Amino acid sequence: MNSAVTSIKLVLLGEAAVGKSSIVLRFVSNDFSENKEPTIGAAFLTQRVNINDNTVKFEIWDTAGQERFASLAPMYYRNAQAALIVYDVTKPQSFIKARHWIKELHEQANKDMIIALVGNKVDVLENNEDERKVAREEGEKLAEEEGLLFFETSAKTGLNVTETFVAIGEKIPLKTAGDQETDSNGVAISDEQRIDLANSGNAAGQTAGCSC
Amino acid sequence: MLSPERRPSMAERRPSIFAHALTPLVVPHLAGIEDPLPATTPEKVDVLIAGSGMVESVLAAALAWQGSTVLHIDKNDYYGDTAATLTVDQIKRWVNEINDGKIPYYENAKLYVSTEIGNGKYNSRDFGIDISPKILFTKSDLLSILVKSRVHQYLEFQSLSNFHTYENDSFEKLTNTKQEIFVDQKLPLMTKRNLMKFIKFVLNWEEQPEIWKPFAEKSIAEFLIEKFKLERAQVFELIFSIGLCYNIETKVPEALQRIRRYLTSFDVYGPFPVLYSKYGGPGELSQGFCRSAAVGGATYKLNETLVSYNATTKEAVFADGSKVSVMEKVIMSPTQVNQNSKNVPEQPYQIHRLTCIVEKDCKEWFSEGESAAMVVFPPGSLKSGNKQVVQAFILGAGSECCPSGTSIWYMSTTEQGVRAEMDLDAALEAMELSILRESSTDLENDNDIVQFGMNGQTVVNSVRLGQSFKEYVPREKVHFLCKLYYTQYTSTPPFGVVDPSLFEKNVVSDKFIPGASDNGVLYTSMPSAEISYDEVVTAAKVLYEKIVGSDDDFFDVDFEDDDDTQAGPADNSNYENAIDDEDEDDDMGMGKNESTEFVGEMEI
Repeated sequence: MNSAVTSIKLVLLGEAAVGKSSIVLRFVSNDFSENKEPTIGAAFLTQRVNINDNTVKFEIWDTAGQERFASLAPMYYRNAQAALIVYDVTKPQSFIKARHWIKELHEQANKDMIIALVGNKVDVLENNEDERKVAREEGEKLAEEEGLLFFETSAKTGLNVTETFVAIGEKIPLKTAGDQETDSNGVAISDEQRIDLANSGNAAGQTAGCSC
Repeated sequence: MLSPERRPSMAERRPSIFAHALTPLVVPHLAGIEDPLPATTPEKVDVLIAGSGMVESVLAAALAWQGSTVLHIDKNDYYGDTAATLTVDQIKRWVNEINDGKIPYYENAKLYVSTEIGNGKYNSRDFGIDISPKILFTKSDLLSILVKSRVHQYLEFQSLSNFHTYENDSFEKLTNTKQEIFVDQKLPLMTKRNLMKFIKFVLNWEEQPEIWKPFAEKSIAEFLIEKFKLERAQVFELIFSIGLCYNIETKVPEALQRIRRYLTSFDVYGPFPVLYSKYGGPGELSQGFCRSAAVGGATYKLNETLVSYNATTKEAVFADGSKVSVMEKVIMSPTQVNQNSKNVPEQPYQIHRLTCIVEKDCKEWFSEGESAAMVVFPPGSLKSGNKQVVQAFILGAGSECCPSGTSIWYMSTTEQGVRAEMDLDAALEAMELSILRESSTDLENDNDIVQFGMNGQTVVNSVRLGQSFKEYVPREKVHFLCKLYYTQYTSTPPFGVVDPSLFEKNVVSDKFIPGASDNGVLYTSMPSAEISYDEVVTAAKVLYEKIVGSDDDFFDVDFEDDDDTQAGPADNSNYENAIDDEDEDDDMGMGKNESTEFVGEMEI
């Protein structure tokens, strides 16, 4: 197994009650690949996924309700490499809201962010296709126009949930040892400068170490 | 200390959730799962907080995790209030609002912005300007709260090791470690010995009253000169750069505490005493604590103004016409008030600030691999004959607060009145000259100054260099992209050591003022002149105790550990910084227990 773990900050967006958190809970609590139990901390949910020979660690940020009154902090989008924009296939309003979030991300977020558009709750359609209010083609078209990944999912049955995250993971450039990221100005960002506060000088001579 | 008024903790109030577990298991609030979020503002909350500055945000998170329902609003459309990190466009708006009288307790704002920002090389959003910049000591109560609350995981921290003292027209880099003292060629042997003796003493000063008690009422300068025979240069470095004191009159115990804060913070995470957060200082930290509060269940609403609060009916009314019943307390930042607020504590102290964005990377002032520096101008070091210190905090592009090739200079002084601006201007001039000299290539071609050693290495003739500096007339000029001057008022005097009594001014008076819209409202304090975050946790705790009845469950939460999160700082030694209020001459009496209890002792 590759020793380099790529951490991906992923943010969740979408109208209330479309199932954003259900998708994440399904993803992190599924016995997926050979992983440990998902862990729940107060900061964000994390889940590791093995993609090809690499390990990708998703740090999944919930809006924590701060989007309800248009009060998401800039910190939420900061350095997010991926976003999941979720709508409910039975609620046209939530699809309109999804368009709003795409626009918001284009304005606020990283230019090369990987965005997946997700139509959730397809399980509802199993018994009654009439419940569908957003055509699959509509979602596909929007995703194509905006250059997004597209999936229709069911958090309830698990349909396409892991597939969505794996597809995101596959599109993210993986970190290899000695890699240096560059910012928008082409300046090398070194992780060396970053200090992990939870990890103070237990090793003598340790400088700015990052435990990632 | 359980007070009879103490409100039950989260676990006590909601037994059903935790009935199966001994320790409360904290699960993040996941929108729409266990508890579908209401579409509108709650009708009833325990606590309403107006303003999202540092103290308010830490308080909101502490209350949310304690189990109180919190509605946290801000009249601005951004987080941070008095602690905000703003873009250049936001600064323009902020300055206009100050001068229109819309932001109380700020005045005399003056702004210059080059056309290169917005219409040229740079975008407004390339910059993050702190309106009250701060540095974080690695041994401090806020740092342990950051770790304990996991808020540090939302942030990125970088180190700052370069502290300079401005002396004789140039910047002297601090000799601040024992190793450096030993190898410093400029220090006479005797000075080295005396300095080492003092450092040994100060790390453990309270236990040696026989040494400092006779000087307790005297100034630290007298003490250092008479008792430790230190030279003026070392005395100034200790008082002003290491201790970050404001003037020469600082008393011995306060100064010792502040000097020790620096020394004990050294080498906690590496060879540096302080950290700062990337992308912005307190503006980022307050966003982090607000997010933590939201995860803990608090409701957030920006762009919302509290119009009035009726302490009898407990009804709070907002500018958009909505209402909420507040069961416990309304907390408000003095900047969030409206016309009929009549209970705001007096804010008699001025802090003058001058913030510049310059088109220079200023790497000459930073340590290798770092992007920040502190420069202190001691009393009398400036042309203006300053009586108070001018502190300058410099951030380079590595902080992601400004684009590459630029830096931000934050200068501030506790001088009051018109003198303050003269001092700031003089400090700016000194910095300008200094960076031009140090970054200039002219000198390298001057054979009188630069000589070549036997192996071809450059040897700088320091005597000649000093003389040359004084005569040096720079050919180039520092190019300013932005210059911002403003005065902020605060109720907190420039303090030596943090003491809860500093924040007790925000008491609710029992007598209601007729016609006031804020009877019964508790006010937070405006940021003080302190460059470190040292006041924040104490100020938040004072309010927390007023609301909850006791502060013993302040951030008393156990989070399930992240799989790769390491254990916290290994040593459990006391967190010794200027925040510990454990002076032996402390006359707090009954408050003694509370004031000596600091979060550094909490388990992490």
